Amino acid sequence: MSIEPMKLFFKPIKEPIKTAMIGNYAVAGGVTQTDPDVICAFPITPQTQSVEGLSDVVHQGRLKAAFVNVESELAAMSYSTAACAAGARTFTATASQGYLLMAEALPMAVGWRVPLTMMISARAFNAPNLSIWNSWEYTLIDFGWNCIVSENVQETYDAAILSVMISEDSLFPTMFVHDGFIISHSVQQLTLIPDEVVLNLTPKKPRHHITPEHPGTWGGIVTPDYFMEGRLGLDIAKKPVLGQIEDVFKRFKKATGREYNSIESYNLDNPSKTAFITMGSVCGNIISWMTKNKDIGLIKMRTYRPFPYEELQKIVQEHDIEKLIILEKSDSLNNLLPPFATSIATALYPLGTLFRTFIVGLGGRDVTKDEFDVAKKKMQSITDMKGQLYQYLGVRETKNKMHGVDI
Amino acid sequence: MLTPEQVKNILKENCINLRFHARGGQGGVTASNLCVEAFYGYGVCQPRFGAERMGSPTESYVRLSADYNLVRDNSAVYAPHFVSVLDPSLLTEVDVTAGVPHGGWLIVNTTMNQLEIQDIVKRKDLNIATIDATRIAFDILGRNITNTIILGALVRVSHLVTLDELADAILKRFKGAIAGKNVEAIKQAIEETCLYETGNDPDFSENTKVPYQQVSLGLPGYQELDIAGVWYCDEDVIEVGSDQVITGSWGEYDMIWDEEKCTDCAQCWFICPDFAILRKKGEDGLWHMSGIDTIHCKSCQNCLEICPVQAISKKLKQSPASCATPE
Ligand code: SF4
Ligand code: SF4
Repeated sequence: MSIEPMKLFFKPIKEPIKTAMIGNYAVAGGVTQTDPDVICAFPITPQTQSVEGLSDVVHQGRLKAAFVNVESELAAMSYSTAACAAGARTFTATASQGYLLMAEALPMAVGWRVPLTMMISARAFNAPNLSIWNSWEYTLIDFGWNCIVSENVQETYDAAILSVMISEDSLFPTMFVHDGFIISHSVQQLTLIPDEVVLNLTPKKPRHHITPEHPGTWGGIVTPDYFMEGRLGLDIAKKPVLGQIEDVFKRFKKATGREYNSIESYNLDNPSKTAFITMGSVCGNIISWMTKNKDIGLIKMRTYRPFPYEELQKIVQEHDIEKLIILEKSDSLNNLLPPFATSIATALYPLGTLFRTFIVGLGGRDVTKDEFDVAKKKMQSITDMKGQLYQYLGVRETKNKMHGVDI
Repeated sequence: MLTPEQVKNILKENCINLRFHARGGQGGVTASNLCVEAFYGYGVCQPRFGAERMGSPTESYVRLSADYNLVRDNSAVYAPHFVSVLDPSLLTEVDVTAGVPHGGWLIVNTTMNQLEIQDIVKRKDLNIATIDATRIAFDILGRNITNTIILGALVRVSHLVTLDELADAILKRFKGAIAGKNVEAIKQAIEETCLYETGNDPDFSENTKVPYQQVSLGLPGYQELDIAGVWYCDEDVIEVGSDQVITGSWGEYDMIWDEEKCTDCAQCWFICPDFAILRKKGEDGLWHMSGIDTIHCKSCQNCLEICPVQAISKKLKQSPASCATPE
């Protein structure tokens, strides 16, 4: 890395700039351009450079934001939620155990409808071992945050801006995720958006205020006479969010030329009527592999929460997809399916589409053509929904034997 | 060796992969970044993910192609067509030719000749380029920074980027006189690179990745682990987990144990988070402290603080002599 990785962002960005940087610094740059009022996060690998980068731009005077150091992720989430409730545009970031430590405060950001944004550099939870590498920990707890997932550095930079738009349109906190190390620490090319365009996309229109003129109580206790009304209110308020996200993508495309959708599909009209479905960096691996494997498709989920059920059903029906191969970087020791697959299975239930889930890439294990080849082959012989619906792939059974794969 | 036109054509439908071997602080990652910055098409670069320390072996990977979808692969590079080695001592320490296809290029900063290198890496099917980048670095830059100079050799054998493109990238990244000197050094490197060709070029359409390399067969599988996440240190240590992580490279200090003062109270042994306090069973049947495991001691200094008789002290570690990224 160069000595001043954030140098490009010290000066106003007047026109689109082609450059190359790691995912975390790209996010720090994107966040800078949205002109946040408060930045409050606790460092954790592999999220760290995003917050370091922001401290750089604040220190340089480029960004007039309160940079608040806290003693833990729980404090970061509590402080950020409160700052947002006071009307400040606020950014935080975390990963793995930090996300768990935030857990106590995560539901309230949703409950209060604060438009907070948070970057997640996805990293495994520490069990049975400490791991600083990538898994989809963010799929394992869900309190109603919006969640969009990025494949590469360009997407995660854009997501930093998109998330502010989504949060503030929907008044629900939004997390945007990239895979830890794989994207957070890889140098990739990207095109930066001029400041003016970003500011036009993200006008400040705070819904919440706390002032002495207009005091209020946030989150005070209610008796059973009230609680369910509050929950139903939240559920109803979530309904338009997918539409709002699509609208944000449209405005973003108009301003930047880059097209995003909640679900993106590749080569779905293929002879095998089969497609992979997954999200994040592994989509890139599959797309590269597909240049030599043209008889299979890919459905890439960008919006993970709220889960776009209807859209997925529409895509599967329109393209007459018969089989889906779910790739997922999380597992569930208790459930019939891991969390990502559970959402997909729910969507597929009325359609009867066949599927199997392959658990790959936990704790940073690389996911390569080997896994895609095997998953594709295994899927060819699947004709029903009987038996165990998930399988770990790319794991050693013994020193010289792969689990579930003959080599 | 391929002509610039041939390389351009290959890049239209293929991805060309590079791997850089260096030591922490030698700027291997900067070299790979510069390739991406200088390249006209699509490029990505990643380091091997994990903790890096001055002096320890590092790897970084580059993918280049004119087809965007081919560089979209976010997995590591397992089959590099061009490997650059910034520090010749790595040849014996790391398998620098792993996954390289027949006809691939091995570029080494060294004063050895190609036959000697073939002997060390035990492969005769690779094209080899050598460059005495260290001498050029001292001559022109005045210090041992070879990461940009080795790119000169890469320009000479790969034609992936031209001297002008590389010079542009360097002028963008580095400031003042140092940028010009780096370009001058690269020019000299292009001239001085010695080539040893087999007459073959790699087949860029083949992916020569060893199947399941990412799964590290040979290490114990799940059936051979006792309770996942737990292992005992005085038994035959299975080669997994923490034992494999060289936590000793993280520390700032060497911890020094004074056998004379030590009373074998074992407080340091209990408190050490890395089992880095070594003990031996004596003839009396009791455990006695026997030293500090420098491979795993991360110099947290817990032992120093707890020792009731000040039998443990610390000394700052020295950085290796060759280091530094250009400023
Ligand atoms: S410094 Fe820390 S890691 Fe090293 S021996 Fe002492 S207690 Fe163990
Ligand atoms: S704490 Fe001090 S005296 Fe006790 S065993 Fe360790 S070095 Fe020896």
